[in-house]
Amino acid sequence: MAKKRHVIVGGGTAGLNAITTIREYDKGESEVVLVAGEWPYSRMVLPYYLGHSISESHVFTATEPRMVDLGVQFARGETVPPPASQAAGDLPQLVSQFVPRSATALDTKNNKLTLDDGQVLDYDDLLIATGSSATRPPVPGADGANIYNLWTLDDARGVLSQIKDGMDVAMIGAGFISFTILNGVLSHGVKLSIIEIMPQILPRMVDKEGATLVEDWLTQRGVNLLTNTSVQSIEDVDGRKKLVMSDGSELTVDLVIMGTGIRTNLGWLEGSGVEIDQGVLVDDHMRSNVPNVYAAGDVAQGAEIITGNREVHAIEPTAMEHGRVVGANMVGRDIAYRGSLLMNILDVIELNIASFGDWTSDSGDVSVLMVPRDNVYRKLIWDGDRITGAIIMGPSRALWATNDVGMFKGIIQSRVHLGEWKQYLHENLRDIKKPFVASHITRDMLHVKTLDHPTVPSREVVAVAGS
Amino acid sequence: MSKVLQIIPEQCTGCMRCEMACSYMQTGLYQPAKSVIRVSPFERHTSYSPYTCFQCEEAWCLAACPVEAITISPAGAKVVLEDQCVGCKLCTIACPYGTIFYDTDTHKAFKCNLCGGSPACAEACPTAAIQYVEAEVQDWQGEFAAERGNVHLVGFST
Repeated sequence: MAKKRHVIVGGGTAGLNAITTIREYDKGESEVVLVAGEWPYSRMVLPYYLGHSISESHVFTATEPRMVDLGVQFARGETVPPPASQAAGDLPQLVSQFVPRSATALDTKNNKLTLDDGQVLDYDDLLIATGSSATRPPVPGADGANIYNLWTLDDARGVLSQIKDGMDVAMIGAGFISFTILNGVLSHGVKLSIIEIMPQILPRMVDKEGATLVEDWLTQRGVNLLTNTSVQSIEDVDGRKKLVMSDGSELTVDLVIMGTGIRTNLGWLEGSGVEIDQGVLVDDHMRSNVPNVYAAGDVAQGAEIITGNREVHAIEPTAMEHGRVVGANMVGRDIAYRGSLLMNILDVIELNIASFGDWTSDSGDVSVLMVPRDNVYRKLIWDGDRITGAIIMGPSRALWATNDVGMFKGIIQSRVHLGEWKQYLHENLRDIKKPFVASHITRDMLHVKTLDHPTVPSREVVAVAGS
Repeated sequence: MSKVLQIIPEQCTGCMRCEMACSYMQTGLYQPAKSVIRVSPFERHTSYSPYTCFQCEEAWCLAACPVEAITISPAGAKVVLEDQCVGCKLCTIACPYGTIFYDTDTHKAFKCNLCGGSPACAEACPTAAIQYVEAEVQDWQGEFAAERGNVHLVGFST
């Protein structure tokens, strides 16, 4: 009997976690085919490569031997012709050597995936894990030389080839992505300007009060911030880049990095029959409306943990959890995902910024601690006596500004009723430990599992060779 | 059954020898800021309890790491592989118990590694409030903390 074939489209966090989880369960019983445009790497750690604190090889999430160990195959490349004994259209089309490929069309009625070179792959089930891509604003000159996104490994290589000590650099967009690379960019000894169209930096990660604290922190450290500013055009002048703003002011720099947003990679699914909204709509088993087609990661729109509303959470922890849950379900387990908790953590020149859950809510039931002199800001969003959102900010070197930060995740995820501790926390926002410990969250959380067994380090997962 | 660090809060006197022993074992210096076991007061400094990683089965930190820098040691502890850790801090928010930390000197995550199977804290504790025993991991401090509760509630106003 032919082996079941899982086709994984996308080699990012979701795709890789799905593969290792499939193997964790089936030890090589199935065929796993990976369709990916790049050899798998971690986008999350690109900033550390940019900042030269890790080498390029460190960003890859699998070595070639590991892929062989996992029994992952790839669609044949054009330079590898099928054996003469095979008629065109016969299988196998699979090889063990990586070939970059992308998916261009999905025929869910006939279980066929079309690739960019015209090949057609059959599948028993398929995982859509094509993630998202960086966008650029429709600004004249935005596609010129020395203008980079910082989304892919190639982008990072490009910036590294240009960036030099003493240069003037402009980052367009002051969102989460730009801020993850801020330390890395500054480590090259450049003079940095950040241009943001909204009235505050990090408009989707912190509120107005938190943002002013971050802005002051950055300005005190020599970063030039231009909020409420939009770039009208980018011109080449004497080998440099002149940015002209909407208010007529100008800024001339040597290098421009765009961090103006991302878009879900859904275009290729047109005509597939897969239901999409902001992403591929999935149930709590990561299944789309088509029973043998799944989605995970940035491309998926699945339930958020508190409300159950389906949202796209384009963050690393969600991609990881989606990948593990979908891998288990693809091998026939029955794992319901509890839902994704939105959370982020940033280090901005040693200012620690963490946000959790529904911190954007303006429900009005909030607890706030703001001490500008200490660069401390904490805000909790309440729904009755449960915390549904939090922003925790403080200098990384201040022990108690950063310790225990995970407890907020435990409190929000467990949806514990804090009861009388609400008043205590309201008055003592730095002391999360007492309410946490006294609310028996540990007792409840110790039973919580994402899969149906204790977590296995994926470096220990191998397929049984030759099966 | 493998061994776990059992905490018996009622025995804790707040002496902090565990924090000294831990930090010394981990860094060669007595510096509680680098300890991964932390003693906290309850009942306004009339009671204390140590608190550290539960080495939980879900291993949230391990699963969260984008570069697999956390693995499981022979002693069954979830340990940070320093050469692999890039300092992204994702583990510090993934752990729902708040027991993995970031070191601003090394730029890496750090956590309880059970000292390779001979936990220094258990050895240093003079009152056996920390014991390294064969047991199921549990919520060691919950009842203790709940009982000593919120002192505002026992009839005193501040």
